[in-house]
Amino acid sequence: MKELDLLKKDWQKEKNFEQVSEAEIYTMLHQKSSSIVKWILIVSIIEFVVLNGISFLLNDPKYDEFMRLHPYINYLEKFNYIVIVVFIYLFYKNFKSISILNSSKTLIKHILKTRKIVTYYIYWNIIIGGVTGALSFIEGFNEGYNSNSNQLENKGNAVLEANCIIILIVALLIMGIIWLFYKLLYGRFLSKLKHNYTELKKIDL
Amino acid sequence: MATNVHMSDSLEQSFVQQLKTNQNIIHKICRLYTNGEDAHKDLFQEITIQLWKAYPKFRGDSKFSTWAYRVALNTAITLYRKSTRSVKTVDYESQQYFISNEDYNYEEEERLKLMYKAVYQLNDIEKALVYMYLEDKDYGEISETLGISEVNARVKMNRIKGKLKKILNP
Repeated sequence: MKELDLLKKDWQKEKNFEQVSEAEIYTMLHQKSSSIVKWILIVSIIEFVVLNGISFLLNDPKYDEFMRLHPYINYLEKFNYIVIVVFIYLFYKNFKSISILNSSKTLIKHILKTRKIVTYYIYWNIIIGGVTGALSFIEGFNEGYNSNSNQLENKGNAVLEANCIIILIVALLIMGIIWLFYKLLYGRFLSKLKHNYTELKKIDL
Repeated sequence: MATNVHMSDSLEQSFVQQLKTNQNIIHKICRLYTNGEDAHKDLFQEITIQLWKAYPKFRGDSKFSTWAYRVALNTAITLYRKSTRSVKTVDYESQQYFISNEDYNYEEEERLKLMYKAVYQLNDIEKALVYMYLEDKDYGEISETLGISEVNARVKMNRIKGKLKKILNP
């Protein structure tokens, strides 16, 4: 292509770019990076702290008492701690594998994988939160229902149904908000990465 | 402790020296991936930070420029966060400093201007390929830098040439 040869000739000439001085480079070295990896790390840590902070704050004595009566919910929670440790390990391992010296494809792959681990962790939390919540609710309701069964009588089923519908609506609402939040946050964040990754993969198809 | 400080000082010094001498390769990447002076400076700074962070892993067995352009390209393609896509209107006239004043040839200059404009319309990955092509990198190096096969790097480059032709002669 003649034009490209022309371009190459021009490209390789010394350009009159405004030269950056040594002093300016020194200043740049001490500026903060705004790289996407740094933001992913910050957001992930915030997510982790917030998620675990909520469950810590919600831990009231009545709940502990309830746990003692229903050990399997307790086991579920203990199991959750193991999951947290595994999650932190996986996140750290993947984060460390991100190296700018890798090929572009590998670099993007590692960034997206690191981010995915956090997303899986969020999903896990939603599921485990839902399961524990549902179990606690059913157990709590059964106890209440049994102790008041004489007074409630026929009203019982209606109350149960109404409660289930309310819980379902609230759960869907919360999930919708979370979904929207992630779409807004990561849609902007990761669109360029995903786009370029697809482009690179397409070349080798 | 004092020796450590001294050592990191000299590391910094050698880095700054090398970057200063080789800054044009980074300017070229900035020009390709940004569309204004501010964005250019912003990307230049981010590339500088990334280069500095990776510098301890730089061994003298390759040239600084060879090592640096890969880090710079990766920064532009992946790490750089500010989107330049939102601003579509690029003042191509201001890109004139691409064209040198020597050997002034009006017709050639017009063709070059159109060519730069066409390259600017390519996507991030295509720009990376064109950049390396213009820098006379061989396909082995291009494929290694991007993480694609050598054969397909060649095929893609030919497609890009076709695409550029189409942009120039619609």
